[in-house]
Amino acid sequence: MIRVGDKQVPWKEGMTVSALLADMRDGHFYAVVRLNGKLVSRPYFNSTLIPDNAEVILIPMVAGG
Amino acid sequence: MTQLDPKELKTISYTRPPIDRGYANQTLCIDLSRLDITLKPVSEKMKDIFVGGKGFDLWLLWHAVTAKTKWNDPENAVCIASGPMGGTPGYPGSGKSIVTTISPTTGSVMDSNVGGYFGPYLKFSGFDAVEVVGKRPGDTVIFIDGIDQKIEILEISGLPDDSYALSTMLTDFFAGDKKQNISVVSTGPGARHTLIGCLNFTWYDVKRKRARYKQAGRGGVGTVLADKGLRAIVARWDSVTMDTNKPADKETLTTVSKSYSREIRDLDPKQNEMARVGTTHLVPIMNDFDLLPTHNFRYGRHPGANNIGRDVYQYLFDPGFDGCWRGCTVACSHGVKDFVPMTGPYRGRKVFVDGPEYETIAGCGSNIGVFDPFTIIEMNFYCDAYGLDTISVGTGIAFVMECFEMGLITTAHTGGMDLSFGNRLSALEMVHQMASGKGFGAVVGQGIRRMKEIFAKEYGADPAVMQDIGMESKGLEFSEYMTKESLAQQGGYGIALKGPQHDEAWLIFLDMVYNYMPTFEQKAEALHWFPMFRTWFGLCGLCKLPWNDIVPENNKETPEPAKVMKHVQWYAEYFGAVTGKKATPDDLIRMSEAVYNFQRIFSLRLGYGRREHDSLPYRAMGPVTVEEYESRRERYDKELTEKHGLDITGKDTTEKAMILRRFREQQYEELKDAVYERRGWNRDGIPTIETVRRLGIDFPEVLAVLQEHAVGS
Repeated sequence: MIRVGDKQVPWKEGMTVSALLADMRDGHFYAVVRLNGKLVSRPYFNSTLIPDNAEVILIPMVAGG
Repeated sequence: MTQLDPKELKTISYTRPPIDRGYANQTLCIDLSRLDITLKPVSEKMKDIFVGGKGFDLWLLWHAVTAKTKWNDPENAVCIASGPMGGTPGYPGSGKSIVTTISPTTGSVMDSNVGGYFGPYLKFSGFDAVEVVGKRPGDTVIFIDGIDQKIEILEISGLPDDSYALSTMLTDFFAGDKKQNISVVSTGPGARHTLIGCLNFTWYDVKRKRARYKQAGRGGVGTVLADKGLRAIVARWDSVTMDTNKPADKETLTTVSKSYSREIRDLDPKQNEMARVGTTHLVPIMNDFDLLPTHNFRYGRHPGANNIGRDVYQYLFDPGFDGCWRGCTVACSHGVKDFVPMTGPYRGRKVFVDGPEYETIAGCGSNIGVFDPFTIIEMNFYCDAYGLDTISVGTGIAFVMECFEMGLITTAHTGGMDLSFGNRLSALEMVHQMASGKGFGAVVGQGIRRMKEIFAKEYGADPAVMQDIGMESKGLEFSEYMTKESLAQQGGYGIALKGPQHDEAWLIFLDMVYNYMPTFEQKAEALHWFPMFRTWFGLCGLCKLPWNDIVPENNKETPEPAKVMKHVQWYAEYFGAVTGKKATPDDLIRMSEAVYNFQRIFSLRLGYGRREHDSLPYRAMGPVTVEEYESRRERYDKELTEKHGLDITGKDTTEKAMILRRFREQQYEELKDAVYERRGWNRDGIPTIETVRRLGIDFPEVLAVLQEHAVGS
């Protein structure tokens, strides 16, 4: 399992950030997530694997300075 | 207690008026030449139309100057104001001040907002705004003592030259037994010797037992203060509660403040963690999206960026509460304790550095090719201590570094300094030279617009190339975002009243990443609503960050998530609770529209504020060099073929870049047309008579300015 915000989500081998968001109704909304404390941005969603027991925080919007 | 021997030049006693629904209902005018201290009443009409903050500043400045006033004329005023909600403890971001003056670098109206306690202390002392005019040689200090109800103009010899030591000394001297009662506005030698001086606004950090500061950085506001011979303005006030502002509806104010404060406290750790890392989270994000200014805005990413972002600074910041106003739960004003500079007058001594924030990191880091977090901290420290704007310093040094690498300038011009990108010691040396007014740093301190003239006239550099790569508009250096691939943000910078600063609009992600505004009309609508709403914060004494840097969990389900309408509604309730004037979100926009259009006409009065002044260097719109084009070749080729239907077979990069340039310059002009129309301006970018009438700013003097420019009804 991984934790996404306050929810538990089943983990799958080879699961990427893109795959996680694709399974979510509003996944398109996110351009940045925090994966185990590290920021991951959309250009790297496809290539970033989520490890089991990970904590993913979805950053709602980047608002700038 | 610090030993100083002030000479009293003028003192008045006054009776502090009771604050009423967020207003003191008077302003303070100090004429340094005549040693006059005048209190001016605030009318209901002034509140209705100009609201407060920047609105009041502009109204005072308008009456202080003429159409011919230059920045260093005695009648130019430095105006500082809070706003009706300024000074509310507990409502996040309610401690802002805003400074307005005629800028040395743009020649037009400049505004710059800043944290720290000064604005609220000024208001609670009895003044919605202060304007300082005139000049006085010597070390002059203004002391506004709201507790003992007196105002003093003092001459104090023996003050430290730099703002870091000066802030501390004046805090100690004027505080009595409560240092948290003092806020100091000051600058340093860099402001005297350059045109890009900033102002430092302090608050006293009780836990760390030191005066700390934030900066009103943009457009040389510190240079104007220094030119007046004024070393500092000090405000003294006592404790602050929810009642201090005498809100019209305390119950509603308490409710909405608690809701907002709680939301930020709960959600910030799940979102950007600003209370822990400030704005440093933006560095890796901008880098990932190819938006981090690198090597004078040529590129948007660099492998070294991870060395200068949140992953590093989270360990360098001194942990603890870092709010620049009381009870602000965003608390993003972090600092580095016991930093030891390797250069300059503080070399080898432990200092506390307020910052760095994103802008300083990008400006004094990636944009000049420096990816060492400690050099950035040192640049930050000295810029503040010398009274220099870190954005203009960073963007200015980036420009000269590119000129150096292109051979437009050489070591013969730089005093032997190697100004290649990444040369951190040269960058620091230039900051020290700016402070002393000596060497090549003194030239850099004139700002990019003047440097372009000097380099062309005296060094024979190609003016056309410098026009393309010199990142200034209206005479103001760009703040630190890449606009090449976001037409909306090109408008956000190019059509901004004071010049390319992101406080009016930050639309890059909405435009480029989310593609929320594909048409010109949608971009124009965004370039109406966002600048107006963001302007409103500066009218009220508020910080923009709590609005959209922390958003409600259900925000994405709302019709317009980018506007964060739940928070906008809270702001409308907040305004009504303090002032007693019920307001809707649309009312907030209308308030700003009046002030925004007045400022545009003010610029027009001074000889600016037209279409020709809303121009951008080409680098803000697209790739100037072959290397830049090649770095994003896939994107640009696709744009030429798919968007513009061009057959690029057989065309080399130079030719493709020229064609792309024509398209992009044309689309920027079309954007201007769309924005002007949406804002109720004519094709020359001037508000129409109908617009000023609709907004209630059709004063005779405003109509006269429009008439001079052939704008008829």
